[in-house]
Amino acid sequence: MVLLNRWEGIRIFVKTKDDMRYFILLFAAMLMLCSEMRAQQQQEPWNSNQLMEPENLANRINKNQTANLLILTIGPDALIKGSVDMGPAQEAENIDKMKGYLKKVPKDKEVVIYCGCCPFDRCPNVRPAFNLLKEMGFKNAKLLNLRKNIKVDWLDKDYPINE
Amino acid sequence: MRRIVCFFLTTLFASHLFAQNTPLEIGQPAPEISLPQPDGTPFSLSSLQGKLVLIDFWATWCAPCVEEQPELKVLYDKYQKANPGKFEIVGVSLDKSKENWVKAIDRFKIDWIQVSDLMFWKSPVAKDYGIEELPFNMLMDEQGTIIAINLHGKELADFISNYVR
Repeated sequence: MVLLNRWEGIRIFVKTKDDMRYFILLFAAMLMLCSEMRAQQQQEPWNSNQLMEPENLANRINKNQTANLLILTIGPDALIKGSVDMGPAQEAENIDKMKGYLKKVPKDKEVVIYCGCCPFDRCPNVRPAFNLLKEMGFKNAKLLNLRKNIKVDWLDKDYPINE
Repeated sequence: MRRIVCFFLTTLFASHLFAQNTPLEIGQPAPEISLPQPDGTPFSLSSLQGKLVLIDFWATWCAPCVEEQPELKVLYDKYQKANPGKFEIVGVSLDKSKENWVKAIDRFKIDWIQVSDLMFWKSPVAKDYGIEELPFNMLMDEQGTIIAINLHGKELADFISNYVR
């Protein structure tokens, strides 16, 4: 029923052949854009369920609910309270260090990584680190969703930090 | 009712007043920067009064900042070396690792002033200047007044060229 109404709505706007052509073109362009966006999203090593919101992590740290959680920084500094410094993951030696560290960690442990230098599209560290977690078979790997950087999305919110 | 409105307005005003990272504007005085150089020598921005100063906030973990360093080198060679009393660059690093910072200074043959407290985003200078992301820069005139904010590439080169002419 809803679908029918929608088509009728379109028919009101699309009266001439030119209109129809324009509509089809527009529709095709939109479809292409959508599929391209989806393809881009699929290229990332993580999916949306693997993103952890900073607010959630901050709450868990504040409530001391981090016993089953490992927080790793794979960026410039271990700012978040309780996080372990692996060094920027763009450097091969730091990836080796992370690999060594994770060997002792059970594969079902929840591991959340963060960098926070800049948005993900510009960050050189999040992808190599997340790929390593996947390769090593960590089933509960997460990426902290710092949209802009650790300053704006963590420090400025007064979330807990390593003093 | 009036009291509720009044309360609401006051809280709104107060929250504005205490809001962090008040962005700086052109025409305001540039906040003082007192930070150590790589060898530990203290530096103060106010010591550069009388010069046009480019304050470049950067870090080795910020890829676009690093890419910009050779461009700054060109500007420095062109304007500072020709006219040492008139122009200066101050690189303020938000690095955490001193090793990375010093390595980059060597690698890009940076011969302008470099300062850092090596506190990453916790550095008070980030708060003083209301910096939310890097790269970020600012031009300060002879009186210490901000005359340009966040110009890069050709815009930056043109601004300096017009100013010193």
